Amino acid sequence: MSDSSEREERPAGLHAEEIDEAEQVVGERAEEMALGEKERAGARGRRALTTAAWTAPGAVWLLFFLLAPVMMIVLVSFWTRTVSGFESVWTLENYEFLFDSNVYWEQLWNSFWHSLVIVALSLLLGFPVAYFLAICVTSLRFQIALFIIALAPFWTSYLIRAVAWIPMMGRQGALNTALQELGLISEPLDILLFSDFAVTVAMLQLYILFMVAPIFFMLAQIDRSSLEAARDLGANAFKTFREVVLPQSMPGIVIGSIFVFILTMGEFATVRIIGGGTVSSVGTIVQTQVASVQFPQAAASAVFLVLAMILGVFVLLRFSNLREDL
Amino acid sequence: MPGRWTKRILAVYFVLFLLFLYGPMIVMAALSFQGPQGTVTFPMRGLGFHWWNELVSGSRADTIRETAIRSLQLSIVSGLVVAVLAFTLSMSYRRRFRLDGVLFYLVMLALMTPGILLSLGTSFFWRFMDQQTSLWQTALGTNVVWGLPFAFLIMVAVWNRYDSTVEEASRDLGASGFRTFREVTLPLVWTGLLGAFLFGFTLAWNEYDRTALLAAGKNTLPLEIFALTVGSVIRPDLYALGTATTAVSLIGVGLFLLAAAIVLRRRAQTTGDVREEYGDVETSGGLAAGVPGSHTP
Repeated sequence: MSDSSEREERPAGLHAEEIDEAEQVVGERAEEMALGEKERAGARGRRALTTAAWTAPGAVWLLFFLLAPVMMIVLVSFWTRTVSGFESVWTLENYEFLFDSNVYWEQLWNSFWHSLVIVALSLLLGFPVAYFLAICVTSLRFQIALFIIALAPFWTSYLIRAVAWIPMMGRQGALNTALQELGLISEPLDILLFSDFAVTVAMLQLYILFMVAPIFFMLAQIDRSSLEAARDLGANAFKTFREVVLPQSMPGIVIGSIFVFILTMGEFATVRIIGGGTVSSVGTIVQTQVASVQFPQAAASAVFLVLAMILGVFVLLRFSNLREDL
Repeated sequence: MPGRWTKRILAVYFVLFLLFLYGPMIVMAALSFQGPQGTVTFPMRGLGFHWWNELVSGSRADTIRETAIRSLQLSIVSGLVVAVLAFTLSMSYRRRFRLDGVLFYLVMLALMTPGILLSLGTSFFWRFMDQQTSLWQTALGTNVVWGLPFAFLIMVAVWNRYDSTVEEASRDLGASGFRTFREVTLPLVWTGLLGAFLFGFTLAWNEYDRTALLAAGKNTLPLEIFALTVGSVIRPDLYALGTATTAVSLIGVGLFLLAAAIVLRRRAQTTGDVREEYGDVETSGGLAAGVPGSHTP
């Protein structure tokens, strides 16, 4: 953003942020100009102190409960296992063990792939919802109401929503019964519970909101008259979609994809509830290792889970330059 | 604009989408109102409050009540801490400062770190420091980390639409910094704070992963629900419990929306009254307010 060559490309479009910044600087300078040399330094120092005071509580909390734990995982993955936990003796044993474990890599790949499938499905199924809410619903009040109804499950327990799939699936579940009543199948389908399919459907329901919301927020910024203009200028529906709607929604799509990807990659509880014991994920592997007090190995597994996530996010970021487009 | 048929098809699709979201929960709620012979799947066997009775006075009732109260306490405290931290953190983002980018990424990292890793790392960290994990020292910490980024983004959005000139006006009229804060700033942003609290509260109320390895034997409600689901035979009283906790969440959201609607209406009224008395006042938020948020060339 501070790259001068980029700024030259569009001299007319000053960033709102830059204007903000300039305004702030002007204000500060004006304040300072009214003061003497000594007081000027004092004013600057006071501002820095105020900022430090405002940031400190949150920053300290995040340091303690986010950064330290994440770094701890990396550290422990290089430490030695003891009967009751770990001791700070450096070793590569955990990684050697991990590299020898085919099950782990298979699982990591499965989780990675599975998450990408869920990302694609949630985009495919979620985009029309966001489009409908943002473009087709014209009354603002109605739009907000429908958006809240669509988003309300976010505030409910994901465990419960996973549990709620149990009566739907299963051999005598609502879905099997309905399909049999309709005469579409003669025997109940077994794939409906404790299977990859079941986990996919449940996760889709749990996390599709994270795709719908960001796309909605981006699409809601489209000036509806620009769609009319596109049509008046002779663009057909497909062209309007490709050249107006899609570019505008791209940052939302990327943010949503990252959300869904990360959340499903690290998923553990849903897999356990819907998948029974038959479906596993990297999360359940980590959990099993923790349960058998193999902390350093669990840490090593976690490290590669995070690396896979970073790789995935990196790939997804290729689709849009968020800093530019937002 | 999309054609009429596109709209209709999408409307039908939207209804199907809501069915997909809410269907399972509705089915679950229905199955909780079965008679004593009820099982976890259809068909419904009898009607009645048997399983709800079981929930409040059966063999598991004491544990469930205990964990529910504990969860409620944790969620309320978590919501308060989240609101306070999101507020203070967002206050510093009203102007640019050194390291603001780094701190922003740290907040986003809180959003991106999988819960299971957070609770694993925290348990390591506490073990490393030779401390016992406990609900209030560690589980509260990780639950707040989960709610904080959402609340922070809300507060940043609130400040973006906030007109700082009213604070200047207040100062120019001779109010002290604290008085300005209490009588001008706070009344204008408290809906945002309430929203921040709501996120902190509901996310902690429902959180399993981030509490899992840290509660040290003192289960919260989600932990209890997980144990009931995975560790034992599922009975319809679990559905009753699920329906109840969902109701708590939805009632919380509903109350918040109600409060927000009332405040907005009152504020609109006050603005109207002021207009009537003093004529229309230009309420532009300075130079930046005239510039649209997007800046595509």
